[in-house]
Amino acid sequence: MTAQTLIEILINGISRGAMYALVALGYTMVYGVLGMINFAHGEIFMIGMFACVYALGVFSLMWGDHAMVNLTLAMVVAMVFSAAYGYANERIAYRRLRKAHVLAPLTSAIGISTFLQYFIFLTVSKDSVNFPRYYSDWLTNNHLRLGPADVTYLQVTILGLTLVIMGGLYYLINHTRMGIALRATAQDQLMASLVGIPVNRTIAFTFILGSALAAIAGVMFSMYSNVLVFDAGYRVGLKAFTAAILGGIGNIPGAVLGAMILGLTEALTTLQFGSEWNDVTTFGVLMLVLLLRPRGLLGERVADKV
Amino acid sequence: MRKLSLLLSLAVATMLTGCQKAQEAPATIKIGLAGAQTGSDGQIGLSMINGSLVAIDEWNAKGGLLGKQIEPMILDDGAQPQQAVTVAQSLIGSGVAAVIGHFNSGCTIPASRLYNDAKIVEISPGSTNPLYTEQGFPYAFRICGRDDQQGVVIASFLHDQLKLNKIAILDDKTTYGEGLAKVVKKAFEDKGGTVVMFQGIDKNDRDFRANLSIVQGSGAEAFVWGGMYAAGGPLCVQLRQAGLNIPFVSDDGCQDQAFVDTVGGTAQNVFVSFGKDYHNLPAAQPFLAAYQKKFNQPEGAYSVYGYDAANVLFTAIQTAGTTDAEKVSAVMKGQPFDTILGKIEFDAKGDLKQAGYVIWTVKDGKLQELAPTP
Repeated sequence: MTAQTLIEILINGISRGAMYALVALGYTMVYGVLGMINFAHGEIFMIGMFACVYALGVFSLMWGDHAMVNLTLAMVVAMVFSAAYGYANERIAYRRLRKAHVLAPLTSAIGISTFLQYFIFLTVSKDSVNFPRYYSDWLTNNHLRLGPADVTYLQVTILGLTLVIMGGLYYLINHTRMGIALRATAQDQLMASLVGIPVNRTIAFTFILGSALAAIAGVMFSMYSNVLVFDAGYRVGLKAFTAAILGGIGNIPGAVLGAMILGLTEALTTLQFGSEWNDVTTFGVLMLVLLLRPRGLLGERVADKV
Repeated sequence: MRKLSLLLSLAVATMLTGCQKAQEAPATIKIGLAGAQTGSDGQIGLSMINGSLVAIDEWNAKGGLLGKQIEPMILDDGAQPQQAVTVAQSLIGSGVAAVIGHFNSGCTIPASRLYNDAKIVEISPGSTNPLYTEQGFPYAFRICGRDDQQGVVIASFLHDQLKLNKIAILDDKTTYGEGLAKVVKKAFEDKGGTVVMFQGIDKNDRDFRANLSIVQGSGAEAFVWGGMYAAGGPLCVQLRQAGLNIPFVSDDGCQDQAFVDTVGGTAQNVFVSFGKDYHNLPAAQPFLAAYQKKFNQPEGAYSVYGYDAANVLFTAIQTAGTTDAEKVSAVMKGQPFDTILGKIEFDAKGDLKQAGYVIWTVKDGKLQELAPTP
């Protein structure tokens, strides 16, 4: 094994981790506020992918192939689309169950997840759809030299976005009025409503924000893997969920840390034992961490969740 | 009021006669069509089933089988072994005379045990894992080749035709993908070549960059993928994005237009093993036209196998004069059959006596048989 291989493996591990982190942030935020695991988050991520590719098609018909302009706009469309789906999910499937037994919204979430998957399967595409490479070529084919290894612009973008979003969320939650409302809602919904915090709107905002982030992750992932498919949300969602637990669910920097550890574990496992062992090692790491720190690496923030 | 009661009694009368008929003998012959229709193999699996449906239409138009209409029972196993077992149980429960399916080897093998116990003939149009017919089940057949033939063809192509000595292999950890990858590895090493990487990856993973870093550092001269096109397409693209322009060789699981759409119609150095090209055979034209008319979509790679499997099965049942598995199976093993893919014969295990695998490549936006090197 050469140094080049090792560095490349580490780079790939980090960008894979950043990919998981983008999805994990949404999981962890909803959990932080509601104490509920939104299993449909992976599907929102998948819907973001499809919305982006359709928007790209429409834009190129409308005013031609301006790669970066169209890509940025399509990403915005994807975010709006996913946010709408996320909001609808909250209204239809979760709001009425907020006071029900903890298993009710969980089951509802799994139902929504399956529903959305097969809705897309039946109405949009049964096969995988290719991301139009015209738009991603610039990002995937240009490299930065990092010692003996190459980093693509896309990998840099993914990592940069993850860190920016993490910082933004951290700021939003800890230093803004909306953040105060979020934290208050997380602590006690009844109390929050008594002091004049619009609890319903605050929770809806959480879903909208989380879903828009999932759309960003979806667009990045479809460029990174070149294809989008109706069940893409399942596997990435599972890994992101694991990452959120690993870092301490409800904890924003924790989700990113957990995702990075997951991505690096997978990459190093591939190097050392072969990728067939990926699930064994990642879930092994998860169990080990939970045995030593049952609330995850950075701890589930029970006092002021989110 | 009187009219109503008259109508009612008429209705009851027809229902009664209907029941009587049903009790006498079933008016149709049920044939199970099982395979993946959802999931990432849904499209290729569905085209296999659609191929069989074309054959069923033709037989029904000719007057059916043993004088009865054929009733297809279509069930989806989602390419998942557990679901395949459930599908098999419900097909057996509803009294099918025979089963055409499944598609994925990982599904066909566990299901075949149930069909065997229930004495039902099973003919798979697409499962290539050797184990399927090696279980010693007398009523199990397949109308495609085996991976221990296919893998050798891939290895010979790499070693003898491309003259390469170092290859990297990745598979999707399914019965089919991993089975084939192992055959390629063994055959390639037997020829004196070296396998510098041999790994598996979850079939739903779409990020292969960590594996590709290892390939890059290993000095592999070619890359072999044992698995389906849903992962094979993005894998091939990522291989090129990583700057590796070595030959990408895959199997019949990548024999699909969707694979070409992903890798791009102008992709170079991409090879896929499969049976002979049938698109230009005169015998295939009526089928291709009928498929187009019925489904109005391009026929998948396995539709013709689904069609042939159905025709062989129905011919055997017609010749045997019964749906009894023992007799149908004896007919199938006892005589040659004419199919679109030529005259075929089954051996004692239920495999084809001759399965010709050839190498295809991407050319002019399509997969085409590779012209033999001059």
